Amino acid sequence: MGLLLAVVAVPALAAPLGLLAARSRSAARAVAVGGLGIALVLAAYALLTRSDPADLVSTFPAIDTGDLRIPLQLQGTGPALLIAAVVALVGLAVQVYSVVYLADDDRYAVFAATVSLFTAAMLLVVLSSDLVLTLVGWEVMGWCSYLLIGHWSRREGPRRAAHKAFIVTRVADIGFVLGVVILAAGAGSTAYDKVLAYWTQGSADRTLLSLALVLLVIGVLGKSAQIPFQDWLPDAMEGPTPASALIHAATMVAAGTFVLAQLFPILVLSTPARVVLAVSTALTMVLSAITAFGQSDLKRLLAWSTVSQVAVMLSALASAPASVGSGPGVLHLYAHAFFKALLFLTIGWLGVAAGGTSAKAVRGVGRRSELLRVAFLFGLLALAGLPFVVGGVSKEAVIAAAHEGAQAGDPAAWVVFAALLLTVVLTAAYAARAYLVVSAPTGERDGATSADDPAPSVPVGVSTVLAVLLGGTVFGGLVLLTDLLGVNGGVDLPILVLTVVLALVGALLAWRLSSSPDQVRRSQAVRVDPAERLLGSRMAMFDNGFGIDRVYRVLVASPVIALAGLVAAADDSIVDATGRVAARGVTWLGRTSHTRHEAERPATGLVWVGAAVVVIGAVGVLAWR
Amino acid sequence: MSGTLVSVDALALLPALAPAAGAVLVLVVDALAPRAGLLARLLGFAGLVAGLVGVVLPLTSGTRIAQSLCTPAPEGRCFYDTGTAGLLLQVGALVAGIVVLLLLRDHDTEDSPTPFGLSGDPRKPTDTELATMSSSGLSGDPINQRGPGQRGGVGVTTALVLTTVAGATTVAAAVDLGTWLVALELATLPGIALVALRGTERAAHGAMSLLTTALLSAAVTVVGAALWLVATHDVTFSPVAAAAAWANTPTRPALILAVVLLLAGLGFKLSAVPFHQWTPQAYAGSSVSVAALLATVSKIAAVAGLIAVLRAVVGLAGPSGHPHQLALVVAVLAVVTMTLGNVVALRQDDVVRLLAWSTIAQAGWVLLPLAALSDAGLRSAATYVVAYAVASLVAFAVVPFVGTQLAAYGGLLRRHPLLGGVLVLGLVSLAGLPPGILGLVAKVVALRAVMDGGLWPLALVAVANAVLGIAVYLRWVAVLFGDPAPDADPLVSRRGGRVGLALAAMLLIVTSVVPQLVLGLLA
Repeated sequence: MGLLLAVVAVPALAAPLGLLAARSRSAARAVAVGGLGIALVLAAYALLTRSDPADLVSTFPAIDTGDLRIPLQLQGTGPALLIAAVVALVGLAVQVYSVVYLADDDRYAVFAATVSLFTAAMLLVVLSSDLVLTLVGWEVMGWCSYLLIGHWSRREGPRRAAHKAFIVTRVADIGFVLGVVILAAGAGSTAYDKVLAYWTQGSADRTLLSLALVLLVIGVLGKSAQIPFQDWLPDAMEGPTPASALIHAATMVAAGTFVLAQLFPILVLSTPARVVLAVSTALTMVLSAITAFGQSDLKRLLAWSTVSQVAVMLSALASAPASVGSGPGVLHLYAHAFFKALLFLTIGWLGVAAGGTSAKAVRGVGRRSELLRVAFLFGLLALAGLPFVVGGVSKEAVIAAAHEGAQAGDPAAWVVFAALLLTVVLTAAYAARAYLVVSAPTGERDGATSADDPAPSVPVGVSTVLAVLLGGTVFGGLVLLTDLLGVNGGVDLPILVLTVVLALVGALLAWRLSSSPDQVRRSQAVRVDPAERLLGSRMAMFDNGFGIDRVYRVLVASPVIALAGLVAAADDSIVDATGRVAARGVTWLGRTSHTRHEAERPATGLVWVGAAVVVIGAVGVLAWR
Repeated sequence: MSGTLVSVDALALLPALAPAAGAVLVLVVDALAPRAGLLARLLGFAGLVAGLVGVVLPLTSGTRIAQSLCTPAPEGRCFYDTGTAGLLLQVGALVAGIVVLLLLRDHDTEDSPTPFGLSGDPRKPTDTELATMSSSGLSGDPINQRGPGQRGGVGVTTALVLTTVAGATTVAAAVDLGTWLVALELATLPGIALVALRGTERAAHGAMSLLTTALLSAAVTVVGAALWLVATHDVTFSPVAAAAAWANTPTRPALILAVVLLLAGLGFKLSAVPFHQWTPQAYAGSSVSVAALLATVSKIAAVAGLIAVLRAVVGLAGPSGHPHQLALVVAVLAVVTMTLGNVVALRQDDVVRLLAWSTIAQAGWVLLPLAALSDAGLRSAATYVVAYAVASLVAFAVVPFVGTQLAAYGGLLRRHPLLGGVLVLGLVSLAGLPPGILGLVAKVVALRAVMDGGLWPLALVAVANAVLGIAVYLRWVAVLFGDPAPDADPLVSRRGGRVGLALAAMLLIVTSVVPQLVLGLLA
């Protein structure tokens, strides 16, 4: 079945092709949009015609090294094809959106090519049934994210953000690579089925398995921007908004969820790895939701919400019992792809209309465009996890899974369950805050534009993209009617009621805070930014992520640089010095010998020869004995 | 053939006879028609090419050892026997001779003779040369930077070169002491005349230095040959006779002394330390083409002579498997030679002197595998000297275009990328670095013979010297990559030089791409 191969290969080839066509903007555009369009069609077709169990599809000839077999195969399982289709859809949406968004950018072709390659890498990770192929996609994504975040590399901010993202995720990748190596070395194969079969058998070394999975989880935490690696993702907002949508919604950040979901059968066997994952994600989802609430920039608010939501996905894998499986986590990944892409692309266009994405700039912009306001509203509803929209369906599944795990007596699941409930409140609060800011009565805006501003023009490309994503956000939950993810559509009523109540509490809190303390203005139904009222000047602290950047520098960067300096000094004063001394010795020897040979008289040669004959005579005499 | 006393394979003798016959013919033509320089030169080329045909024809039919002048079986032995390495050495000598003849064309003094004894007389370019200059992109000062050219006329120089080559090809196949001695001197003495024929004071000094050392060394060699005869009672370098002499306690010391003295005599021809003193003087005093002849054909002749001697003693087992004293002598010679050569080469600012000292260093590398006293070691030495000869021919062929001062090579890669690129390839080949694969292969082959012989300390010193050698040649290469000196002399165009350089460069490139060509010539 070459179909699966084409799903990955078409966008991968679109990247170099797009670069070749960079001279002509329309050609680059056609290649970029066409590549992902074809990928989407192929992925959807593969999803509809998939066979069960899924066939293995070879990419390259298998590498057989004796002790290790690397089959390099793809496998189109149900969840994989579903996620692949969503990834291709988001990728296509981003491409179409970029055509308009980056219309004036002189490096558009490079950007579009990178997006194609990025999407291809994510598709590879999703469809791979081989750890090595996963690793390839994983690393290519890391590189592409560096390129996308640093797209406006002429400015200092994006450059630093790109370097930070790359270095932080690369450091965590050390764990990922080591984990992959241990898993593959034990199983003697890098194929997922062989790895799972080997490590689930009773005779496998559980300690080694836990070590491998903890290392793997560290890699995933880095790529997914979980504590302690969380700080790179909000900084990545320096990149163009379509790039943020791609990174946050469907690709890199969520990739770890899918990789761990594929390894779920062995992940449930390792308590240490699950505990590490549970603790990190529980902390992350709560703290980043709080941080999101205090952001003065709505795009950064969305970034922190991504950190929080990815923690929710991963927490499902950390807490779901084996009987539930990885379904809820993957379902939330699927849901998040829709509503987060929708939110980013909407805030991006709101930002275009308002000239910036800070809460002050976009205040009230939603009033001027019904489409943008509705799109934003539904995106936030899904984010807050209200019923029936896709985010509500998936979050309810995650909470139910954690609850089930907790009931089975797993303490980690209890932690996750509590954190999830708290997060529901916080998420609803910051979602409500974002909506209140965007839809505030325009008369109260402090910005330069007045209430009479014309409605921001939304080009056809952008409105189509937003409409499609809006449709996915509203109706995406219907996926439960199929059996693709192995999540039953049944509703756990008490949990549902609980989450709705908690979400309403959060939204109400924000609403209460937004009513102006000023009596006169309250009577005019004027609303203030709840975060500004609650936090005031402390928002700056939230904006810089509580100074984690400095902690990185003090704890990691400075010691490493100091060590590098030490090594360089040792290299110079010990290793190189040896060479310098030798060189000086040889130079001296050369000068001396040269001077000895300067008197070029025929007679001197004879002296040499005479001396030599004497020496040789001596050797002869010695030999005579 | 049963009735004949000695069977003669004329084709096998061609490499030795054709250059010699060519030399005689050239002298005859020169005597009858002194103005017919072109004919003399053509005859010279014909002699060398005929010799080459004599080597290559048997090679194409799969033969790797040429034998002739054989007495009938069953007691039969051949008095012309190239052994396993001789054919390769003959090819090397003949090709080097052709390139030197091409380079010498630019030193002709036929057109503008200068009185003997005057030095530094600028040579006027002919019209054709000026035309070539403008057409080839080389421009400017037509003054010959290497001073006056070769005296004595085309006929004499050509005949002398041919004689040297004939000596070298004959040594490579000589079996009996008499032929060996005569051929060895044949490969040396014309060189002295060629150096002297340049006619400058420095040339006279160089020639004198060369002559005195040659005389003394010849004496040592003859004594060595006499001792060999005394020890083995045989007029040939026969392994059987040598083994008998080795087994016999009274004759063993005589055999050792004979071999040591023969080595000493050959050490002079090879410019091994301590017989090296003449080398920089003679090279710097002679014209570049003659220096190239001394550095290539004479060296090949010396290695051929060494191999002829050592071939006979290779099989002798010492107290613990090796004839220790001989291995020690060769090893010490090799180490001292390569170290001193490299160290002094590092200090040279005159490229011809640099090449002279590099020749000394490379002589050490040629001696290195011989210390293993094995058949493989002999073949490695032959490979090494041919690889060295090809690479140095390229370096020597570039010198007339640019000049002898190292500073004059500044930025050559940008001024004339082709010339500079070829020179870089030649130098990295001498250093044994990629892309000079030929040099690298030669060094590896030489070291492998040493390692197979178990001489680890020697191999370590050799590796240290390989590093030193890299410094020597990269010092020159760095200048090529650098900026042009502000007062750099313009490049000089030379017609014969260009053909010679092209031939040498082509050889180097082909053998670098397919080093098996050189290795494959060995049996």
